[in-house]
Amino acid sequence: MKKIILILILLIAIVSSNYANIKVVASTTVIYDLVKEIGKDKVAVDFIARGDQDPHFVEVLPSYMLKLRNADIFFRIGMGLEMWSNQLIDGSRNSSLKVIDLSTDIDKKEVPNYKPDASYGDVHPFGNPHYWLDPENAKVMAKEIYETLASESHQDEAFFKKNLDEFNSRIDKKMQEWTNTMQKVKGKSVLFFHASWIYFADRFGIKTAGFVEPKPGIAPSPSHNAELVQIIKSKNIKTIVMENFYSDSAPNQLAQLTGVKVVKVATAVYGIKSVNSYIDMIDNIVNQIIQNS
Amino acid sequence: MNKLLFALFLLVIVSGSIDAQSSINPDISLIGTFNTFTNFIKGTPEYGKLNFGDPEMELFVDGYLNPFARATANISYENNTFGVEELYGNIVRGLPFDMQIKAGKFLVGFGKLNTVHPHAWPFLERPLFHQVFFGEGGLNDVGVNFSFLIPTGDVFTNLDLGIFKGKSMIPQTDSNAIDHGINPIFVGRLSTFWSLDDYTNLEVGLSGSYGAYSKGNLILFSIIKNVDNIETFNYLYGGIDFKFKYAPDSYTVLTIQGEGILNHRTVPRVDFFGVDNTTASSKKISNSGFFIYADYKFQKQFSFGVKYDYTAGILGDLPTFYSLSNDDKNSTQGFETWFSYYPVEETSVVRLGLQHLIYDYDDGTSRPAETTIKLQFLFSLGPHKAHPF
Repeated sequence: MKKIILILILLIAIVSSNYANIKVVASTTVIYDLVKEIGKDKVAVDFIARGDQDPHFVEVLPSYMLKLRNADIFFRIGMGLEMWSNQLIDGSRNSSLKVIDLSTDIDKKEVPNYKPDASYGDVHPFGNPHYWLDPENAKVMAKEIYETLASESHQDEAFFKKNLDEFNSRIDKKMQEWTNTMQKVKGKSVLFFHASWIYFADRFGIKTAGFVEPKPGIAPSPSHNAELVQIIKSKNIKTIVMENFYSDSAPNQLAQLTGVKVVKVATAVYGIKSVNSYIDMIDNIVNQIIQNS
Repeated sequence: MNKLLFALFLLVIVSGSIDAQSSINPDISLIGTFNTFTNFIKGTPEYGKLNFGDPEMELFVDGYLNPFARATANISYENNTFGVEELYGNIVRGLPFDMQIKAGKFLVGFGKLNTVHPHAWPFLERPLFHQVFFGEGGLNDVGVNFSFLIPTGDVFTNLDLGIFKGKSMIPQTDSNAIDHGINPIFVGRLSTFWSLDDYTNLEVGLSGSYGAYSKGNLILFSIIKNVDNIETFNYLYGGIDFKFKYAPDSYTVLTIQGEGILNHRTVPRVDFFGVDNTTASSKKISNSGFFIYADYKFQKQFSFGVKYDYTAGILGDLPTFYSLSNDDKNSTQGFETWFSYYPVEETSVVRLGLQHLIYDYDDGTSRPAETTIKLQFLFSLGPHKAHPF
């Protein structure tokens, strides 16, 4: 009998040591992947916005509230990207939920030095929130995730730290590769669809020639397209880069008129079938730009 | 009262503009609606003409009171009059059993659509049965609502239980109704939500409401000679609703939504047998109403849809003991279609709609069908929340 009890205790100890004891929900699949990298099997993680979904506009579904209801931590990009998240948090009724904004230590770009209003389009008053497209910022996000998980589970701090170091090391290694590959387009002008590429462009030395949207969040118009035709021709632009959840109708019109290539990429993990991690995502973006420039 | 509300309105606007960026200020948004219309109802002054409705406005002030509670005010301007459409506090977390409490004046959750403000509907005309059974402004009342999450695993199930003053249930123009304020009404709704896949969602709800909609002194009917007691008239509403949404991408959404109501109530009946032979009595009746619509949004900027309505009662009749929700003889059907254009997201909408009403009288009275065409311009100024399902 004593042996059986001993075996049971051992079994419980083994199972509980491998059991994911921190429940995390990420607002996007990029954060989801980073949490998996740092937390691995010590963390059960889920996400809200799908990879093929515009993270600005997520419908407030009761099923998302359920995810947050059972969570210990909710990570979000912040800077006003997930305007929908507070409604989900309220709906979850989870008074012990920790809400972590991963933009805290990010070097923010395009913070308006004017009073932003709707005449500027969908300008984010706290700056451009698409910082995850710079791999160096992924390391900042990962560090914030590590610190949060470590404070939640002190006994696993070393485990999380080891995972963080491994992730950073892989990013550093890939960063050299991406930087070398992007040398081909460094200094060249690219047209983007939405004003979400400043962090990526600055990191790899790409010049932003303009945007297909006349203003952030404003649908393309024929008159703006006419202006873009002139810009494409005068600056010899070869590529339009856009997120794959936007309609490519206007970019395709520009392609027909000028011969410019339209590159649709996933800017989130699982945005397309072959992108199953953050590194896959940057790999895909870099390769698509290079192949079409 | 109107001056007071106007002063409050100005105060909110001024305080908001002093420091709109302050994180402690509540969100302030303003919805403006402007309608033009024509109808083909013979004998009305609007017949065949371009008519301009008075502009309407809703001013929303909304924010956190503290980490556990929010407060919302909605001041409306309709028919050249200011009014408090909603004013409530909502404790959203920190209560036992993960309960939420909402107290004040607000749109009551009988069915799903009633809690959604009309500016967020894809169509123009309030469902007919809402007008008959809830009144022109929908079921909007003073009270308290308790909301509970039911533990049903991965399926979201919510139970709302509320007690309300019952003012919205009483026919305002009924001179025979007295002492209604001490007869609260009860409203509840059980709803379940399923994500069928990444792009398809479904919600189904069951609602109920019980209470006294009026106390009547039948002797007040001057022609009645043989009844002198005050009687309480109770009602029992049962409701069913569903909402289905399929959104395969950011640009396309198909929504199908429907609701039905079954009304069972005691009503006064007057039987005439000549001037000196009139009797009044109470009687139990049952009647019903429902609507169903489909709206298809495409290219993010356009939508069109159709709606079918049926309700007991003759729409437009004054609410008295003998009409609208007490009417189990006559009925109204409505067909509505619309086309909407959203120039930039949902900050503005231009909507063209047509409604065709058909009246059915039990006694064979003939009344021609009525058609109204409406052009609506709607704008939304300030922050607007993400759309709840």
